Amino acid sequence: MPNQDDFSMKRIQQMLLEMARGNFFYSLDPGAKNDNMASLIVMLNMVNEEIRASFVHQGFATAQDSPRYLIQMSLLLDANGTIEMANNKSCSLLSQLPKDLIGQNVSEIMTANTQKSWHNKLPKLLKKDFTDTIMPLEFITPEGLIISKDFHVSTFRSLDGNDQKILMDTVLFSKGEPIGKGLWKHALKISKGAKSPKVRLSQKDIRMIREVHDMILNNLDRDLPKLKDLALQMGTNEFKLKYGFKQLYGTTIFKFLTQERLRKAKTLTLHTSLSLKTIAHMTGFKSIPHFSRAFKEKYGRPPSSLRK
Amino acid sequence: MNTSHENKYAVYLLTDDLLHIIYKKGPIIDLEAAQVIVRDRMMIQEGRSMPVLCDIQQVRMVNKPARDYLAVEGSLLVTALAFLIDPPVTDVISSFYLGTHLLPFPTASFTNKDQAMAFLTEQTKQQ
Repeated sequence: MPNQDDFSMKRIQQMLLEMARGNFFYSLDPGAKNDNMASLIVMLNMVNEEIRASFVHQGFATAQDSPRYLIQMSLLLDANGTIEMANNKSCSLLSQLPKDLIGQNVSEIMTANTQKSWHNKLPKLLKKDFTDTIMPLEFITPEGLIISKDFHVSTFRSLDGNDQKILMDTVLFSKGEPIGKGLWKHALKISKGAKSPKVRLSQKDIRMIREVHDMILNNLDRDLPKLKDLALQMGTNEFKLKYGFKQLYGTTIFKFLTQERLRKAKTLTLHTSLSLKTIAHMTGFKSIPHFSRAFKEKYGRPPSSLRK
Repeated sequence: MNTSHENKYAVYLLTDDLLHIIYKKGPIIDLEAAQVIVRDRMMIQEGRSMPVLCDIQQVRMVNKPARDYLAVEGSLLVTALAFLIDPPVTDVISSFYLGTHLLPFPTASFTNKDQAMAFLTEQTKQQ
């Protein structure tokens, strides 16, 4: 008889296989136990998330001519939650045949957590003729792989006005190439800035730029040295630092600094009673007007308005 | 003066020297959870910076948006951080978190509460 570890190993292998194919949108349930197998699954999930984040980010930040493949997942349900339509991709994502998937109740392919929130939410959605909302949902394949994602959920009336329908829809990114005909037909090409990068970065350069990134994050209250001096201090040149940072993080060093300062300032403004002057000082802004202006530019309202 | 507070995700105990946060069993820590956890922590601290003892022994999952939020917004008003862990799961979580995020204050993980407290006391003395 197969034991629990064999069972978990199968799931881990399945997940690794999906990662090797470029599909980083699955995850596994580590369960409630505190053992080595659970810790391995937790680690695998976190590594998977980091890879997913880095490639999507770099895909847009570096915006080279590499096509990104999008996968749409759509389910059409009746008011009871019975699946009436599932697009082809949904079937392969959930590794079920269309004939098995269609006719099933949607809660059968949801994780226990999602089932609970879904059953709570559904009656509220169906009260109105038309709703449009975003919900975090988790679906599970027969192999135990979990797809956890924000879904657009729309409810509406059918044309004859008798039935209510529910549409669930989301888009996933895959690094893998679509299989079969029409190879790049549905691929998303990024046109803006789709030219070769200004600098070539070696592993060493990337490590150096990450160091600069972390240094900025940890010294938000201090002024940044001149880029020229910073580059010298890091053993590189201004050009490489400037364009390398932009290439890696999709923003300039100064914009990044302001953005991170404001992120901290917003949290402090919202959740503490510290004076705005203290907050401005803690996050490296020279004066309250300077702080307020930058804050308003980013969040559309001055920090003082968060206090009322 | 001792103050305590509780929400869906954690219990907070504020003493003269430090803030003790005990994560509850069960919920996945996602972005929404992380925001509540940080918001309540700041409310209790009332703008004061202090060392934090974070008992994550019952935690089973912290997703990426939550990890990133905890590392940036969640690192405000903390002077030192000790994780109380229960290997292997929370050992993996704390090493992964500390290994992928550079926090602007001293951090360490312990399986023993007294050692964790000793670390925080030591760090506070040095600052």
